[in-house]
Amino acid sequence: MSNNEFEKELRAQIDALEKQKQPERDLWSGIEITLSKEQQETRETPNKQRTKVFALAASMAFVGILSWFGLNQSTPNFNGQDLVAALSSQHQQQKNALLVKFQDQPALTENWQSQLTELDEAAVAIKAALKQDPNNMALLKMLQRVHQQQIDLIERVHSPKWQQI
Amino acid sequence: MNTQGNIVSAESAFAQKSEMDLIKAVQEGDKKAYQKLYQTYIGQVYGLCFRLTSDKSLAEDAAQEVFIQLWRKIGNFKGDSKFSTWLHTVTSNITISYLRKQRGWVQRMFNIEDSEAMNFSADQGTDLSELEAHVARLPERARIVFVLHAIEGYRHEDIADMMKMAVGSSKAQFHRAKQLLKEWMGYE
Repeated sequence: MSNNEFEKELRAQIDALEKQKQPERDLWSGIEITLSKEQQETRETPNKQRTKVFALAASMAFVGILSWFGLNQSTPNFNGQDLVAALSSQHQQQKNALLVKFQDQPALTENWQSQLTELDEAAVAIKAALKQDPNNMALLKMLQRVHQQQIDLIERVHSPKWQQI
Repeated sequence: MNTQGNIVSAESAFAQKSEMDLIKAVQEGDKKAYQKLYQTYIGQVYGLCFRLTSDKSLAEDAAQEVFIQLWRKIGNFKGDSKFSTWLHTVTSNITISYLRKQRGWVQRMFNIEDSEAMNFSADQGTDLSELEAHVARLPERARIVFVLHAIEGYRHEDIADMMKMAVGSSKAQFHRAKQLLKEWMGYE
């Protein structure tokens, strides 16, 4: 069959396409929640800003530690466990600071401490795996993610924004 | 005839004015007005997201992303063009960038090629037209170029700009898409 026929058929099918479609689920509620969160964040308290600065400093410290680790990987007497220890200590400090900060504030959920313990157990399991394979970057990143989840959990359950939602 | 023409143009002018009022209210932060704008344009936005992604779930997420980013960007709309035209370009750009992020994630996780990666969503139900079903089977880049050029009417220069590729690549992807469609439609 000719190219012209194909072009004609294609054009006809394109012209017949419905340009507008409706989504099956309601998208507005998700949009509204995101926009409200954003508006609330722009009105955030200096306290919240301090937490953000603290989190940023922690992230920068993590990047610094990882870079140092990358630079020193070729050094024969460098121990990957040193990095795990440095990460754990830095995380512990950050966690303690947040727990002190929120100690008088009611939490949104009752089981947040058991969730925190579960994440602690996950971190212990990852550290055990790192003992076997100290230079495994994927494991190190996983550890950092678990640490971050703990920080997020503490912040979320104590954040007024989440309590309103 | 003349009278009818006048009525139509008066109606259209009124619609444009009330739309500009609505946009102005949104630009001033009125969320109720934004919800009204969403209701007016969700069909257009989701329709385009669906044609570009060929995946209901991705299209819904992309449409949501469009309306979240539109809230931040709407201050940039100065009324030089029709709002629907401006929104169309914003939607295309956001959906392409959303797909790029998704593709990056899928490819990193499963280490698969573009041509295979994008066929996973091809069979999505029976409510697609014949052409939509074929377009859904196209590899991602060929599909986006085909949709933007053949269906939405963008020039290859604009598509190349949106997709950060050479104009020649956009033309090549379009040719590839047409060859595949020709075959699947039984013309080869």
